[in-house]
Amino acid sequence: MLNANKIVTALEDQGVTHIVGVPDNGSRVLFERLWEHPQIEVILTSREGEAFGLASGLYLGGATPLVLIQNTGFFEAGDGFRGTAYNMGIPLVMLVGYRGYKTMEPGAPRIDTAATFFEPTLKAWNIPYTAMHSDEDITQIAAAFAKAKETSLPTAVLIVPETV
Amino acid sequence: MLDKYTCLKKLAAKRTDEVFVTTMSVAMPWAELSDSPLDFAHVESAMGHAADFALGLAIAQPKRRVFVINGDGSTLMCLGTLVTLAQRPAANLTMVITENGTYEVTGNQPVPGADRIDYEQICRGAGIKNVYTITDEAEFDAQLERHFTGEGPQVFIWKIEKASEPVPKPKLPIRERAHRLREALTSG
Repeated sequence: MLNANKIVTALEDQGVTHIVGVPDNGSRVLFERLWEHPQIEVILTSREGEAFGLASGLYLGGATPLVLIQNTGFFEAGDGFRGTAYNMGIPLVMLVGYRGYKTMEPGAPRIDTAATFFEPTLKAWNIPYTAMHSDEDITQIAAAFAKAKETSLPTAVLIVPETV
Repeated sequence: MLDKYTCLKKLAAKRTDEVFVTTMSVAMPWAELSDSPLDFAHVESAMGHAADFALGLAIAQPKRRVFVINGDGSTLMCLGTLVTLAQRPAANLTMVITENGTYEVTGNQPVPGADRIDYEQICRGAGIKNVYTITDEAEFDAQLERHFTGEGPQVFIWKIEKASEPVPKPKLPIRERAHRLREALTSG
């Protein structure tokens, strides 16, 4: 489990102004904490591809957005991601829920292709990424912001267990 | 029907410090009328995502009017964005849908549902209250001021004549255009 309050603190430390995305089970509690936040605005999009366009506009307008979606929506967002945040060179950090992670464990009764397709797609799309498996990994958020700034390109941090 | 070029000329003549995001068959005609760092040709990008991109700009820059001039084909690619525009209203956002029923820059193939779609109803159904369909130049002239001052999110549907624009090729790569826009919006 990942502590949602600690993630919120990590986002505050980076000066995040807007969260743009679509909730899922893994990010449910994190979204609830963010909706209560007095300074960070949550903007829901109808589909995940919009999140990258909207966040790119926010950044170019001077804000510090973060995209929060699930891996299934990440696949859908392919052209939106490529044509906006990536091509525009936006130092955008995305938190992406890793649906199906446990189905890749040996002996799992079924495999979720949302999981098996995920990291190969991140690599194919040239997105640097790290994963948060426990609260100790929440420091990866700061590292992702540093990497995005250094490269002026999007980076990802994967949410493996649910937020609580 | 409206002549797209005439409408764009009238917008350009009235424009001061507004951001203009243009797509596909509008991008190059607009570039001939204006060369401002506040212009952003949303091409070599992701078709369908100009409106969500413009919403982000409008939210980040609430004191500045942001225009997005979208085609009907581009609008159809991401209809859910109309709902997103309504659920997070930006009072400074003006969207234009240039409706001619075709994908103009790829050879005027018909868009799905051409001549049967009612974009005004779709926008209203999505929750956008200020929606105006314009079919002739006199109506356009009467609504010109509202484009700049009306409460957003507002959508103007321009019923335009078919034309034939080539594939847009902006002078600068998209990354440079984006960072030029950021510099213009955030410096000073």
